[in-house]
Amino acid sequence: MRWKYIFYIIGILSLFLGLAMIFPLLWGLYEKEQSFIPLAKAMGITLCVGLLLYRFCKSPKTEYITQREGMAIVALSWTAIGLLGALPFYLDDSFINFTDAFFESVSGFTTTGASILTGIESLPKGLLLWRSVIQWLGGMGIIVLSLAILPFLGVGGMQLYKAEVPTPVPDKLKPRIRETSVILWKVYALITLAEVLLLWLGGMSLFDALNHAFTTMPTGGFSTKNASVAHFNSAYFDWVILVFMVLAGINFSLHYQMLRGKPLAFWRDSECRFFIATIVGLSLVVSFNIYGSVYHSIVQAIRYGSFQVVSIVTTTGFATADYEQWPAMSQLILLLCMFLGASAGSTGGGMKCLRIMLCCKYCYRELFAIIHPRAVSHVKINGKTVPDDVMRSVLVFLALYMGLFALCSVLLAGTGVDFVTAFGAVAAAIGNIGPGFGMVGPVENYAQIPVMGKWLLIWCMLLGRLEIYTVIILVVPEFWKK
Amino acid sequence: MKIIIVGAGEVGFHIAGCFAHENKDVVVIDKDPEAIRRISDKIDIQTVIGSGSSPVTLEEAGVREAEILLAVTDSDDTNLVACLITDMLSSATKKLARIRDADYDAYQSAFRDHAPHIDTIINPETEVVKTIGRLMSVPGAVDVGEFADGRLKLIGIRMDENTRLTGVRLSRLPEILKDRQLLIAAVVRDEELIIPRGHDRLKPGDLVYFISEADKLIHTLEIFNKHTQPVKRVLIIGGGRIGFRLARQLEEKSIHTKIIEKRTDRCNELADRLSKAVILHGDGTDQGLLNEENISDIDLAITLTGDEETNILASLMTRRMGAGKTITKIGKFSYFPLMSAIGLEQVVNTRLSAINTILQHVRRGKVLSAMSIKGEQAEVLEALALETSDIVGKPLKKIAFPKGALVIGIMRGEDILVPSGESVIAPGDRIIIFAVREAIPRVEKILEVKLEYF
Repeated sequence: MRWKYIFYIIGILSLFLGLAMIFPLLWGLYEKEQSFIPLAKAMGITLCVGLLLYRFCKSPKTEYITQREGMAIVALSWTAIGLLGALPFYLDDSFINFTDAFFESVSGFTTTGASILTGIESLPKGLLLWRSVIQWLGGMGIIVLSLAILPFLGVGGMQLYKAEVPTPVPDKLKPRIRETSVILWKVYALITLAEVLLLWLGGMSLFDALNHAFTTMPTGGFSTKNASVAHFNSAYFDWVILVFMVLAGINFSLHYQMLRGKPLAFWRDSECRFFIATIVGLSLVVSFNIYGSVYHSIVQAIRYGSFQVVSIVTTTGFATADYEQWPAMSQLILLLCMFLGASAGSTGGGMKCLRIMLCCKYCYRELFAIIHPRAVSHVKINGKTVPDDVMRSVLVFLALYMGLFALCSVLLAGTGVDFVTAFGAVAAAIGNIGPGFGMVGPVENYAQIPVMGKWLLIWCMLLGRLEIYTVIILVVPEFWKK
Repeated sequence: MKIIIVGAGEVGFHIAGCFAHENKDVVVIDKDPEAIRRISDKIDIQTVIGSGSSPVTLEEAGVREAEILLAVTDSDDTNLVACLITDMLSSATKKLARIRDADYDAYQSAFRDHAPHIDTIINPETEVVKTIGRLMSVPGAVDVGEFADGRLKLIGIRMDENTRLTGVRLSRLPEILKDRQLLIAAVVRDEELIIPRGHDRLKPGDLVYFISEADKLIHTLEIFNKHTQPVKRVLIIGGGRIGFRLARQLEEKSIHTKIIEKRTDRCNELADRLSKAVILHGDGTDQGLLNEENISDIDLAITLTGDEETNILASLMTRRMGAGKTITKIGKFSYFPLMSAIGLEQVVNTRLSAINTILQHVRRGKVLSAMSIKGEQAEVLEALALETSDIVGKPLKKIAFPKGALVIGIMRGEDILVPSGESVIAPGDRIIIFAVREAIPRVEKILEVKLEYF
């Protein structure tokens, strides 16, 4: 492990983050509010930290980064960025302690969208914009962004890319990792822009339109309003945001193919079909379940039901209704949706549709093998056989995910929260969703969770965003052996 | 520039690495998922799993946009078919195939005439034989490259403890050497390539690359205390395909040749096909046999068996038992750094030879020959200066040459010029350029013909 090199890269990423703080800072100046002072201080500190690391850990260009180093770089960078990103919150008066600021920051970068703020609307606009900007950066990945902009990583970039965007079957759109990253970011920025325009034209203020687009596309879920999207109480906004949540939950390489003039790409991809079918199916079930008992018009039932299902399946976490008042079946479906997650290669979290699909197909294959003991059959995706090692890693991922979920909920319950909250909060954090159940439902927030619980959830959010392996590997003793 | 490489073996791997470093778009096709995983972990390229001779796979790899297709799998048949299919799908793509079977040798011209779908056939074994020939021609050299039809040589030589040049600043070279000019292109010190400047000193143990005219070579070598002794007696250990080719060439030059080969059948075959060479049946590491054959009188022992470990041991043993020099064939690139440490300087490698030949065909502009320097850190290109390229008509110092690249020789008609900052290149000159890996894309750009629109 070349620690100097690892910290050198973290230094570069910190510089990057410092520069990104300029946007909310300028907005704060434009609004003539006090928030630019904490932002300016935070920017200064971040740039200094970045420069110091860059200066003192400067190492020669290397030809390779080992897998182990790649994982360490990504996991440590995300922690460092979470810490530095918390500075604007911490230096402002709205946050009492550092844990809360760090929680908010990590929740932003991991695109969870869980907040500890009780009065969001009273926060200065500069800080609100910063909350949204960190979600937007975290959505496509800050390392993928730096790969796109800086040519410095080249070969080693592959290891970092794999550690930050761990899809079961990695697909490279272009021969070079840099071009792939550039394309992903371009597509991402383009769709975000489209959403800003649609929301703005629909009558949202530019500030709110920017913020909501910045948090929809990374499937984040921070809102500038206490009541989230419900605040606007407009069917138009609900549907626009719903459509963009679905887009954000689809593999971005399919968007790229579509933009290149292959509109059938969505339909040809079996994971995308599975994803859309799941959303439509579950939305209908939930809508019928809440029709009559909660809403008396079928249009309203579909509007609120499908919004909530999409919001949770894509792991965005916007709320238009308090689903804790819904019938048990709907609540249970939403809880299970938290595990499902969006497509691989999207900005969404969770277990990812692809893994669930592979797991189902694998189960079917096993059953098939019982009936035909001598049959030779393979698990296939899009007509291609899935190699055994990929299959194994998918199954191990699912096992680790469930195992860590169980362990963390027990630990969270140990900090004194109730049974439902422990379950809901951990599921929402590890799946990068945001609102959970119980004390952390869609109309409450995470402020009441004890300090230890918040640290646990911070860890869960990082676990979920980097898809388990990159983070969990750091606690394996073998990793640290020379 | 998009390049498709079929076959992720050692040649494919290293070529892909070279091109990826030069920011070219590389797509590698291989059947073996394990090989694909290994290559995509290390090198920034796109990969496709599948057979390189399948049109579907080639299509998936984007053969229609590819400028070059390199077929370098282990199977000659696959390589030929890959070229054929590529020609079918996209005839504009330049297609290179590696063909190893000696049976094809006699039909080289037939391929040129009747197989228009293959642009170039590369036979690494003939390339190795050529490399051995070059090494034999320059005693004491570790690396020899020939340019300008063999009239200019780029030579890599190891600095000894006490030559006239040891510890001397490069800026003082003209004083010491007087009329004999020496243009040092690069120095490899501790596995690191340095482009020396005036204040740098040459240290013992350095691998010095310099350019020299072939007929003045003997004088130049004397500067380095390397004296020419013509090679008269050669021992070849391993009578495989390369051994056979080499022996036949040596026979033509009337060099006394002995071949040691383990397999009886192969010995019989060799004896049938060779007339003067002495064929010995036995093990190349057998001390008794070597003694019996007067190993101490041998000028040069060349170890060419299929097993590189045997080659290394046999070379060490013959060296210990008194053979003058050794040339060792190794297969794994990872052994290269080790070889100079154990005193085996002269090494050949089929794959490296293949890579050198491929490079020459892949470079843009009119590149006549190319050679990659130790560990692929740098390359030497011989190119034709085209009339509309950037390099023509200006003094060299005014040309925006990239850092790490320099012109080390100019050949105009029959004359060879040693370039200086004032030299002007005329259209039609052949120029020899030394460039570190990072500078190569820009060198290519300079050599390329400018498209002019009116």
